[in-house]
Amino acid sequence: MRYAFWPGCVSKGACPELYQSMVRVAPALGIDLVELYDGNCTGAGVISEHDLDTADALNARNFAMAQRLDLPLINICSTCQGVQSYTIQRLKKRPDLAAKINEVLAEEGLQYHADRGLEVKNFLWVLVEDFGLDKLRSMVKRPLAGLKVGPFYGCYILRPESVLGFDEHPDRDRYLEMVIEAVGATLVTYEGQDKCCGFPILTINKKNSLTMAANHLSEAQREGADCLVTPCPLCHLNLDAQQPDAVKYATVDGLQVPILHLPQLIGLALGMDPKELRVDRHVVSTKKVLSKL
Amino acid sequence: MEVRLKVKRYDPEAPPEQATRYQEYTVDMPENATVLDSLIEVREYHDGSLALRCSCRSAICGSCNCRINGRARLACKTQISSVAGENGEIVVEPAGNMPVIKDLVVDMAPFWSKVRAVKPWLQPEGPPPEREYLVPAESMTALAEVMNCIMCGACVSDCTSLEVDKSFLGPAALAKAYRFVGDPRDDATLARLRELSEPSGMWDCTRCNMCVQVCPKDVKPMEQILKLRSEAVHAGIKDNNGSRHTLAFVELVDANGRLDEFRLPVYTEGKFNFIGQLSYLPSAPRMLRAGKMPPVFPHKISGIRHVKRIFKRFEKKPGLPFRPAGKGGH
Amino acid sequence: MAVYQHDVLVIGAGLAGMRAGLAAQETGADVAIITKVHPVRSHSNAAQGGINAAVDPSDSWEDHAFDTVKGSDYLGDQDAIEVLCSEAGNEVIAMEHMGVIFHRDETGHLGSRRFGGQQRARTYFVGDITGQAMLHVLYEQLVKNGLRVYEEWFVIELIVEEGMCKGCVAMDIRTGQVHVIGAKAVVIATGGAGRVYEPSTNALICTGDGISLAYRAGAPCIDMEMVQFHPTTLKGSGVLITEGARGEGAYLLNAAGERFMEKYAPNMMELASRDVVSRAEQTEINEGRGVDGCVLLDMRHLGEDLIRERLWQIREIGIDFAGVDIVKEPIPVLPGMHYIMGGIKTDVWGRTPLPGLYAAGEAACVSVHGANRLGANSLLDTIVFGRRSGMDAAERAASEEIRMPDERYADKVKKQIRAVLDRPLNGDRTAKVRLDLGRLMNEKVQVFRKEDELKDALAAVRALRQRYETLGIESKGKVFNTDLLFYIELGFMLDCAEMTCVSAIERKESRGAHYRLDYPQRDDANWLHHISCSYSPQGPQLGKIPVTITRWEPQERKY
Repeated sequence: MRYAFWPGCVSKGACPELYQSMVRVAPALGIDLVELYDGNCTGAGVISEHDLDTADALNARNFAMAQRLDLPLINICSTCQGVQSYTIQRLKKRPDLAAKINEVLAEEGLQYHADRGLEVKNFLWVLVEDFGLDKLRSMVKRPLAGLKVGPFYGCYILRPESVLGFDEHPDRDRYLEMVIEAVGATLVTYEGQDKCCGFPILTINKKNSLTMAANHLSEAQREGADCLVTPCPLCHLNLDAQQPDAVKYATVDGLQVPILHLPQLIGLALGMDPKELRVDRHVVSTKKVLSKL
Repeated sequence: MEVRLKVKRYDPEAPPEQATRYQEYTVDMPENATVLDSLIEVREYHDGSLALRCSCRSAICGSCNCRINGRARLACKTQISSVAGENGEIVVEPAGNMPVIKDLVVDMAPFWSKVRAVKPWLQPEGPPPEREYLVPAESMTALAEVMNCIMCGACVSDCTSLEVDKSFLGPAALAKAYRFVGDPRDDATLARLRELSEPSGMWDCTRCNMCVQVCPKDVKPMEQILKLRSEAVHAGIKDNNGSRHTLAFVELVDANGRLDEFRLPVYTEGKFNFIGQLSYLPSAPRMLRAGKMPPVFPHKISGIRHVKRIFKRFEKKPGLPFRPAGKGGH
Repeated sequence: MAVYQHDVLVIGAGLAGMRAGLAAQETGADVAIITKVHPVRSHSNAAQGGINAAVDPSDSWEDHAFDTVKGSDYLGDQDAIEVLCSEAGNEVIAMEHMGVIFHRDETGHLGSRRFGGQQRARTYFVGDITGQAMLHVLYEQLVKNGLRVYEEWFVIELIVEEGMCKGCVAMDIRTGQVHVIGAKAVVIATGGAGRVYEPSTNALICTGDGISLAYRAGAPCIDMEMVQFHPTTLKGSGVLITEGARGEGAYLLNAAGERFMEKYAPNMMELASRDVVSRAEQTEINEGRGVDGCVLLDMRHLGEDLIRERLWQIREIGIDFAGVDIVKEPIPVLPGMHYIMGGIKTDVWGRTPLPGLYAAGEAACVSVHGANRLGANSLLDTIVFGRRSGMDAAERAASEEIRMPDERYADKVKKQIRAVLDRPLNGDRTAKVRLDLGRLMNEKVQVFRKEDELKDALAAVRALRQRYETLGIESKGKVFNTDLLFYIELGFMLDCAEMTCVSAIERKESRGAHYRLDYPQRDDANWLHHISCSYSPQGPQLGKIPVTITRWEPQERKY
């Protein structure tokens, strides 16, 4: 299994532990990652609100690199997934724009074949659809039995379904639950698991942003979760790094919910050293998690 | 097929402790029946006290929005076969983010007051022409998407921003606002964009896509909000964090090819707004401690000049949206 | 004195009601609109295809008027039709100025499509959501002008005092409280009575409230036998598929795949007037050339692009309510109850014979539609006569000294409601009586009619009224007691059904939508007049009102 790998900006910035855990977990699973070192930011939905065509052009550049390698693209960020899926769909419908973009890409010897499209999959989707949960189950060396894990998806990997291939894969809104169970952990579900973490408005309306995080974290804690797992580093930033500030909006006492990145959860189940997975590099201590392993 | 409707009831005339409850009704319905058909069956033949609004039965009037299995939907547009669980159970609750009057009937007064707040009427300057306004055909077809809105409130019901802040204008009112900002006959564009850039306006949307997902008429409210943001930024309205955030993001990606998380919040507060920047101080030491501090001098990707070329080639020029000649003076 | 009072009170907030309210307010009058649903929930939403007007310089309003007269099978009053068509252009332009996003041609001017029964394209549209687009724009204007709206208030009775209408008694649905609302002029704009039939294209709120209110208050109704069956409705639900589909070129096919309209209307084909097309379809179905009780509407050759741009809503309707994607397959359709040409008799200013009472839109009968309404003339009717009645009502309010009614009128209604709520349950239900009524009307007072069936229908309607008067109501609450409202609505519906049956029995000829198998010819010598129904405790008293002919002498009608 070989993929062009787009790590996203955040895994190389504020969430280095995500990148570190992914590049260790992938080989353990036999997944070969060919990193697009020269790839650019997807725009995270922000550049597209400034100018949609620019955002599409930026994404097409990454796609062209993957197409040149003749590989499907893997990402480790719900936000990247949403933006990339959106661009693929839009450029399929807009050959005129695709042609215009290709004129610019041609100057660095790239071309994006919009008609062909590109398979772009978050690590979560790869695990369930390409790798297979049975295989994952068979590779578990450290069953996480006793660890109560709640899912947190991130909006862009769930909505809108019409952009995200739900016609073909209707269960994509249940994959995290399926993975949590496959690694032997105890699943905890709660109402906010598919809602917004609040990150996109952190610098715009901090109170609203932190209230969202606090609501979901409080609910999860009330339902008994030891930790949450997310495929989105932006959600991680709001749920983990901002958690100390979100406490004041919490609806439970003593809010403390560690947040794992998806590759970290997988790595722990594969028996890897938590340190190697950088589980210690979080704002909210993961001791509660490690003590239950 | 046999359907077990689990309906959330609320009776304002009952003693408070008995006012709210779930009631289950079992009805036998044809396979192709809708949830509305089933609710009407209940109301007409099982329990005349069940209150709900409905009228057109064909997703045009917007009356029957409610939560079905936890998501906002028009009951008339939802086939029972698509939502019934294994034992035929369908959970029906009143719409969210609005006070309940009785059973599935909610008070939409807050909804309408927000629609009114965006001054939802065409504001052309000067006397109208003798005949119709001359505008490009595409400009009218482009507005059909948002004119398709039937004001059912599904987007408002499930809006994640409204859930934490009732003052947010919300997806329906903001989409309605774009209907005028995008209309070449309207001349209040700049004033509208300024007002909508205020707190509780366009920048409080989290872009969670919930409204796009639940809208039964494919209005894509969030995308209309994004169009408002784009127009506001290009119109030069920069005195707010939302606008600055977007501009900073664009500037930083243009500079490095990747996001610079160190400077983004700083620029968002305003490059010289040191007080605003202080609000990010508490999170800095703890991120540093955890080894999560983004690099102070960001890594530039090697193909940065290609990224710059993309920005140069595709960026829209600043200014207001298109207006036909002789209209509005901009 | 009544707590609530206004110069002009408009009942109903669809296109006609809002247009009336706005026109009245423009004169400076104190106006309020009372409506049982929020304005944008009104049934005007459901008008899909467009609005007719001779806007293009190469068209003339006289041509539009002639098409309308011919469409009406010469039962339309030609003075009223002249008003309708000559004011159409300005009214459509006024709606455009208010903000309706009408379709444009490549030059940026208003672009039109063809509609049935007309010699040329003069139907202006917004995709297939024209009614919705207009309704929401009028609501915008309502907000802009700050009109008072009694939203979710239900009118139970009109107040007639000193020989004039002075307001109404209404219930605030949210509290169950009953109030008097006094007014110097009342405009009824409550729409039609489609739910008298089952199925019907009409929304569940179309229960003939205003028609019955006026009738009971002493204003006569005319042309009540004229019920339009739309040629393209979905089986079962009765949901509408716009005539715009045929306007854009869709075919009607029978089981053998033949465009059967060749036999019935060789010139206009699928775009003959609605009564003609519905009869043709019913004949094909009755003679065994249908497909499962339907014929097929085929749009595949129009292409996905055109459908996406101009017919997106019916595509969605097809997928949701018939499981058919019109891009890929023909959709089964059949004639279904759609519109009533008849209603409260008015003059061209919306005045009914009862002073102070006005009516506009489908509730009224001016009569511009006569025995058959042309597609896309109903939206036009609502705004032309909505505006006129609003203006005239405001003028009356300004010029007349009128003493406002007192609160006692509410007491009588409260007592009646109490009596209904106190009645014991007897096993019968409002819904059962209504369903029996709907099925009865659909079976016996339909596209093809004959005397014995019509008489059966009348007897059955009267028997249903007996049941109505003895059945009890389950829900006793005050807040949102829809059980009670549906009961009151059913009373209105029974009035409308009775008038339709009585008038249909009376008219012994075939004209427009009223086709009598026992009198298959049009008979101008004996029946070129309107039939009117006036209230009496024993049932409608029939009268004759001559048809106004200005310049178009009746001719044989062929398409």
